[in-house]
Amino acid sequence: MNTSGAASPPEWTTAELMAVELARLLRNDDVAVMGTASALPQVACGLARATHAPDLWFVAGGTCGVNPHLAPTVASCCDEDLLRSDTVLPLGDVVLLEGRGDVFTVFFAGGLQIDSHGNCNLVAVGDRERPALRGPGTVGLPFLSRVGRVLIYSMSHTRRTFVERVDFLGGPGFLDGPESWATAGLTGGGPAAVVTPLCTMDFDPTSLRMRLRSVHPGVEVEQVVAATGFELVMPDVVVQTQGPRSEELAVVRRLDPSGVLKGR
Amino acid sequence: MDKVLSLDDAIERLVPDGVAVLAVGGMHLHNNPMALVREMVRQDRHVARLLTSPCGALNADLLVAAGLVGEIETSYVGFEHLGLAPAFRRAVEAGVVRVLECDEAYITHGLTAGAGGLPFVALPEGLEAADVWKANAESYRLVTDPFTGKQVLAGAPLIPDVALLHAAAADAAGNAVIAGAHFVDRAMALAAKTVIVQVERVVPTEEISRHAVGTTIPGFLVHGVVEAPGGCHPTASHGHYGADEEHLRRYLSMAATAEGAISYLEEFVRGVNERDYLLALRRPAGDRSGQ
Repeated sequence: MNTSGAASPPEWTTAELMAVELARLLRNDDVAVMGTASALPQVACGLARATHAPDLWFVAGGTCGVNPHLAPTVASCCDEDLLRSDTVLPLGDVVLLEGRGDVFTVFFAGGLQIDSHGNCNLVAVGDRERPALRGPGTVGLPFLSRVGRVLIYSMSHTRRTFVERVDFLGGPGFLDGPESWATAGLTGGGPAAVVTPLCTMDFDPTSLRMRLRSVHPGVEVEQVVAATGFELVMPDVVVQTQGPRSEELAVVRRLDPSGVLKGR
Repeated sequence: MDKVLSLDDAIERLVPDGVAVLAVGGMHLHNNPMALVREMVRQDRHVARLLTSPCGALNADLLVAAGLVGEIETSYVGFEHLGLAPAFRRAVEAGVVRVLECDEAYITHGLTAGAGGLPFVALPEGLEAADVWKANAESYRLVTDPFTGKQVLAGAPLIPDVALLHAAAADAAGNAVIAGAHFVDRAMALAAKTVIVQVERVVPTEEISRHAVGTTIPGFLVHGVVEAPGGCHPTASHGHYGADEEHLRRYLSMAATAEGAISYLEEFVRGVNERDYLLALRRPAGDRSGQ
């Protein structure tokens, strides 16, 4: 592994590593959209623009600032600070463009439950009408069916979060697998990657099930397996996630000087 | 016509007890019309169906905590990075409040349908892959697209009987300027039968006219204007002050139990008028306007 310029583990937090890891998944021609509590993907987009993807666009749903300037990063997607942006759209326009389907190429998502096929649930654990845990609600997650790549992130990697099948399907991933995915004929590309405090995962192209890609520095594969409530597809070789390089870390901290990410 | 009303008059005259559909504006912890919401609690106004923006917060949770809400039509009630909505969560888990499960697209476009007299609104293909419509047959139906013959989702128009909204300023005729993000507050004003706007300041029409392009709610849609400086507290008022997270955390901690929620309502809502509430609580540190 090329470790030149890599900062050593004590120098960064898990959330900072996750922002860097999400940034690496972004491309120069992407137009990304994100919603509730999205400080992490906002910093990832800001970092991507400052490094390998200067032409990337990103929209912070809620206020709908386009390329918000961050520095400082704010915790709420509706904070008026996000109006310090290159331009701002009305929320209704962003909802229209999410529906149009060919504008946004990346949608950041998450959930109280995330399942083996990348479906997300923010509505309820247990029966929706008398839930064991009532979540807040699904907001824009049904649009996951229409965007190019879904990038899932979660600050929690436990068996309660990563389950075989979501109790309520609010954000479509690969549904029940290859057959139902093919039948549904959705226009989106489906989930592309999942970043958690323990690891980065992608999806096996045949089974459309979540597959371990890399474990973060200091994390063992067994830890990931034990924290995941379904059988992860294992690649031939599990690599280690490259830690943040010092240049990446410098940008993250410039964008988030008050440490919103660290506080998570 | 002078539409300026005192806070108690506005709720007493314009919101019937048991109002069929009440919409509350603002999104997440921003621009929640909390002065109007607190007065709803003081006057014990029941709400048959509460409609939120794509993301409701304290505006919904406080009414639920007060036991005033029968059912809630929403795509999210929560406190974003601060946590789940305690009263909403408790009431739904106990089966006391029914949720009409929605998504952001339907709430946004459904209000447009309500505003425009559209009999229903067709929703983008692909949304049917989520379980939302299956859980809410009152708001969503699968229909045949008359042009392509495909099965697509349709949503019923959203028409609030009353909308409670916040704006930065309005004149006495009800022309209102929203500072910062509009969220779906304009759509709520366009769709609702009765609109009450709480504002940081009531200003002369000449002042509104200088910002005519940004005068986002025309007075002819507005029935009541309430001057409520600081009235979004503890949520943010764009252009004026940020959210008071310390107080919000206090709410979350108290409302974590049913008894605590009652204590909160007694201490900060039922037992005090708006002026005393703000005198006791408003922290200048969270103020962005330098007032």
